[in-house]
Amino acid sequence: MSAIGQPISRTDGSLKVTGRARYTGDIRVSGAVHAALVQSTIASGRIASIDTSAAEEAGVLGVFSYRNLPRMNPTPKPWSHLHPHGQGYLPLQDDKIHYAGQPIAMVVASKLDQAVQAATLIKVHYEVAQPVVFDADTTRAAIDPPQFLWPVASSVGDADKGIAAAAVKIAETYATPDRHHNQMEPHATTAMWDADGSLTLYDTTQHLYGARELIAMVLGIPVDKITIMCEFLGGGFGGKAYVWPHTLLAILAAKAVRRPVRLQLTRAQMYSMVGHQAATIQTIALGADNGGKLTGIRHESISPAPVFDNYIEYAALSSRSLWAASGGIATNHKIVHVNRNTPTAMRSPHEALGHFALESAMDELAYATGIDPIELRLVNDTATDPHSGRPFSTRAMRKCLIEGAARFGWESRSPTPRSMREGRHLISEGTAAEIYTHWRWPAKARVTINGDGSALVETGSHDLGTGTYTVMRQVAADTLGVAPEKVTVRLGDTRLPPSHASIGSATMANAGASVLLAAESARDKAIRLALTGRDAPFTRGQGADIRVAEGTLTLAHSNVSISYGDLLARNGLPNLVAEADYDPVPEHEGPKAIFSFSAVFAEVRVDPELGIVRLNRFVGAYDAGRIINPKTARSQAIGGIIWGVGQVLLEQSETDPTLGRFLNRNYSGYLVPTNADIPELDILFVGDFDEEASPLGAKGLGELTAVSVAPAIANAVFHATGKRIRRLPISLEKLM
Amino acid sequence: MHPFALSRADDPATAVAIQTRDPGLAFIAGGTDLIGLMKDRAALPERLLDINHLPGMSYIEARADGGLRIGALARMSDVAASLAVRERFPLIAEALLFAASGQLRNMASIGGNIMQRTRCAYFRDEDDLPCNKRRPGSGCSARHGLNRNHAIFGWSDACVATNPSDLAVALAALDAQVIVRGRTGERSIPITEFHRLPGDTPERDNALDRGDLIVAVDVAARREARASHYLKVRDRQSFEFALVSAAAGIAIDGRSIASARLALGGVAHKPWRLRAAETALRGVSLDDRDALRSAIAASFAEARALAHNAFKIELAQRVVVRALQVAGERT
Repeated sequence: MSAIGQPISRTDGSLKVTGRARYTGDIRVSGAVHAALVQSTIASGRIASIDTSAAEEAGVLGVFSYRNLPRMNPTPKPWSHLHPHGQGYLPLQDDKIHYAGQPIAMVVASKLDQAVQAATLIKVHYEVAQPVVFDADTTRAAIDPPQFLWPVASSVGDADKGIAAAAVKIAETYATPDRHHNQMEPHATTAMWDADGSLTLYDTTQHLYGARELIAMVLGIPVDKITIMCEFLGGGFGGKAYVWPHTLLAILAAKAVRRPVRLQLTRAQMYSMVGHQAATIQTIALGADNGGKLTGIRHESISPAPVFDNYIEYAALSSRSLWAASGGIATNHKIVHVNRNTPTAMRSPHEALGHFALESAMDELAYATGIDPIELRLVNDTATDPHSGRPFSTRAMRKCLIEGAARFGWESRSPTPRSMREGRHLISEGTAAEIYTHWRWPAKARVTINGDGSALVETGSHDLGTGTYTVMRQVAADTLGVAPEKVTVRLGDTRLPPSHASIGSATMANAGASVLLAAESARDKAIRLALTGRDAPFTRGQGADIRVAEGTLTLAHSNVSISYGDLLARNGLPNLVAEADYDPVPEHEGPKAIFSFSAVFAEVRVDPELGIVRLNRFVGAYDAGRIINPKTARSQAIGGIIWGVGQVLLEQSETDPTLGRFLNRNYSGYLVPTNADIPELDILFVGDFDEEASPLGAKGLGELTAVSVAPAIANAVFHATGKRIRRLPISLEKLM
Repeated sequence: MHPFALSRADDPATAVAIQTRDPGLAFIAGGTDLIGLMKDRAALPERLLDINHLPGMSYIEARADGGLRIGALARMSDVAASLAVRERFPLIAEALLFAASGQLRNMASIGGNIMQRTRCAYFRDEDDLPCNKRRPGSGCSARHGLNRNHAIFGWSDACVATNPSDLAVALAALDAQVIVRGRTGERSIPITEFHRLPGDTPERDNALDRGDLIVAVDVAARREARASHYLKVRDRQSFEFALVSAAAGIAIDGRSIASARLALGGVAHKPWRLRAAETALRGVSLDDRDALRSAIAASFAEARALAHNAFKIELAQRVVVRALQVAGERT
């Protein structure tokens, strides 16, 4: 039986629920000492004086500030996924203060409590400047940023002309707040130097090789002297994809005190030492004919960036490719430089912000034209990417909409707002569609077939908690023709064959492809050996008829067979090793446009007197290509939907306008959904094998599932209350 | 972290004596609030005295007269599960069950619950932001900062924080008594006078003096206690403090309210009793929503909104109506 497609439970599940899985901060290194940080309490200005004498007298191993920390090399330009810095401004290099919570000193001591206590003894005096925050005033100073990931602006056709001539027009402004990832596992680094100048790191990273490259460049260490390990990650969500200042500080501290140094961020430090999702203010203009067919889309977004970086939230990206518009589509992004640290990718970067605006606007258009929201989307479906003009590799949007609506029971919906009731509650239904970027990245893997019939998969990919160990096992087991239990998977170590960042929902399609190719290569080596090796059981010319199953090579229509173990023994080999180098052309250079798609449906219950919104039920229909493991895929979807519920109803990182700092810096102040907030979630996978996306046929899933939860629920809230909430989160005072 | 010494008290008299002479010492019971405050450096006691082993303070006594006495060391979860509490004072059981999480309720004591400090994010920030409650004279960051969660009643320019206890709101509606053992022996403080308004000394949350040890909470039988309800409105369904909560208990004459007891949470530096509304509600029919609203409005003339919490003034009145209606269904 094929392992791919089976709902196999996670191979690391029992390790995790019994606490035996080793997470970075939990790893105890012999002789390791601890670092604690001092952070700026002001958001803008400079350090006038810093007195570290009391801390130095507290029996610590080292106290560091800009005055004595070695200088680093500037971060490389332009920014690249291949050497990704989280933030261009490096820590403890000068006396400037650019954001609240900026690291300004570090204490290293034998014990953690000693380091933390000594850090409180450091006295800092500031020259305080007025911080600049992201608000209605400062957005007027928005600038055109240089390109970061995609082109900043786009224009196909003449969107404005198409809108001007339209029978029905929508023009609205939508806003999403700052958010933080709040992974359960805090960021942590333990850095160890050897006498020969080699560096070993345990680091919470979604991008081992990118981190290694960046660290090498910034700290001037040869790449081949650096080893990074991360066996398990307790949640990444994009927030551990790039290198943040604490990792660099831990490395320099370890060098200075000549001991391994462990630095783990506190929960509050995770609000300024690492990135966040920046707020957006988005304007959307839609034009359509009376039949709902779009004649033009204009989507623009403004987001904040720090004074030293040009990070862009590409909120208008999705409007380039989701729907066809006969007249044209135009998008643009601007940024405002403010006092904060650098934002970063957060599930689902760009798309989940832009879809809230675009798919809310589509719902507004549905009401303006009197066309059912599902029908409206079917009318504007397209087989060609409006942005690039290329055909989509696969696009099961229609299937998502129709099968999702059938599962949800959409046809019984009464479209009039406030028309469905249950006791004192209003009941309502909303929908939204989604498109999500597909990334094609190179990846390498090595597969070993052992003499005992077991197999080893080695690739420098990552397990973020999503099941990478399990799905890679399935891919290798099927390809080699062995039982899944026979396959061991090793990830999370730069000594393994290099893979790409585990971001952008790219791991299954790309790292998975490298495992597939390596396993094919190992299997083919075995077949060649069975044809040409010592006492070969098969003869030349029979190669195409050899099948592999249950660890045994068998000639079709015969009873001639040999197990991997016997084959290796007969040839005196301990094992067979094969490597693969999956090196696809980047998506934008390929002949087809590759994206994932979905349609999602939410039923909500609103208490109109008290303004309380609760999710009643949710159906998601997803086209993520071929699904390798329906169980881990469903878990990804559940996590994505809950992530989206947080986005639409609860989450926001609040900035105090005077102090210029994030205020609610913990799980008590920053609300994420509890189990009580989440009903049964119904997940459908409707995609087909996509050969353009990956040799495995898989497209990205994880981020996709968090993209359009917000507009679906916001649209349902409108259906319940007649109130269109265009600024997230939908807190109760907006509905009272 | 801030170093501290931990010792243990074995009898109340010694505990009181030790704290009386040591301003750097704090009692610790469940620790569910104090430990968090210490991690945030919002409380920096030099010595902790573990009072969990004090004898005779962990009980739930259902008195023959219909009243209730709860030892200060009784755990929230035990009190919430008590049949006597659930039958006699449903609003107390509800106030406890809507608070915190199952794990926290297993640890947290009744005395500690009414001692918990405000959730004001400025007060609790690790970085010692301007806050008169934390550092007298440093100013109130919330007064002109982010104050959606803050007070609409009884605040001062020095402090706009709210008291986070759910239980205290139910106890205030019932006119419970806090039994305190101090330097001069045992005394009883009405719960409605236990917590203070901030005035210009917001660093003082309550009426306790140094050395005072809460030993019990005493709840007299009330004819409004059975038909009662604690309604908590919050941003999410579980594990969150109230934006606004209401404790309501009524005695009914037909469909009319014979007498009512009402207190609000999340609106002031202390549980906020609605005495004017209670008077105005006498004789009002539970079915007459407009009359309920105008009776309740009697207590809202003195409400004052901050920049981000004006909605609470309307929300609180709607919450009271709903709490009365639900209580009325329990007669």
